[in-house]
Amino acid sequence: MRTLLQILTLYFLTHSAMAQSNQVKVGQAAPDISLTKPDGTQLSLHSLKGKLVLIDFWATWCAPCVKEQPELKSLYSKFHKHVNDDQFEILGVSFDKNGDSWQKAIERLDISWPQVSDLKFWKSPVAKVYGIEELPFNVIVDAQGKVIAVSLHGKELEEFISNQLAAE
Amino acid sequence: MKHILFLIAGFIFFTLNLKAQSKQEPWRPDQLMAPKVLADKITSNQGHNVLILSVGPDAVIKGSVDIGPAQDAEHIGKLKAQLKNAPKDKEIVIYCGCCPFNKCPNIRPAFTALNEMGFKNAKLLDIPKNIKVDWLDKDYPTNE
Repeated sequence: MRTLLQILTLYFLTHSAMAQSNQVKVGQAAPDISLTKPDGTQLSLHSLKGKLVLIDFWATWCAPCVKEQPELKSLYSKFHKHVNDDQFEILGVSFDKNGDSWQKAIERLDISWPQVSDLKFWKSPVAKVYGIEELPFNVIVDAQGKVIAVSLHGKELEEFISNQLAAE
Repeated sequence: MKHILFLIAGFIFFTLNLKAQSKQEPWRPDQLMAPKVLADKITSNQGHNVLILSVGPDAVIKGSVDIGPAQDAEHIGKLKAQLKNAPKDKEIVIYCGCCPFNKCPNIRPAFTALNEMGFKNAKLLDIPKNIKVDWLDKDYPTNE
């Protein structure tokens, strides 16, 4: 019986590790994201090197993501001095399909940080490269372009950013 | 004895909770369709017998019609217009796939509309996580 339990535990652990193996990990270099802004111009993650960057993967069809936007807005206001000093930025990466819905949501939610998308829904290559399986999802990248945190939200996210900016 | 009472109480609570949950939903458990069942119907060319409607972010499933997120009244109107002339016994499968059922804002208004219109053979695609994990990643047939 004990052996059977051990085998089952091992199976579930291995299966779960395999299922999550594609997701971007702390310590690795953040893969570049070069996509289009609502105004049609390109913006790349690499162009933000030198700043602490919070990459917010979201979509207008993802209710919890939309709900989180006002929190990100207050976080952006709180650290606005660091934004102005080129120390911090938020990069919104949308998995929307409909450009119109995306742009209307940006206006309605009054989002002032840079937004990019390829409007390819879950077929976006970015989802594959970052190993994203569900939204909301975010990644924090340091000034050297290294992933330093994955999936932080609420108070935990604010404290992490605050500590990182204070340490600089 | 205490343990037995505790177990019985726990069982009753669990059963009542389950009942309460299923009562709140506009679909019955037997109206849920597993993604593999639908995928097999499509690949074996039986998909034309079923009307597949996307009431979420994108009509990724092969042969499905894009209604749009059913949380918007505009899209409920589109759903009703789409089904205006459909026979009431037509097999209809709706899906969203934005997220797990407990977070989805689209499936309930859409399924309620089907019930109100009197469709007897309406199904909801049982997507535990989202359309990426439960359809695209399984290489089931897609529209593109």
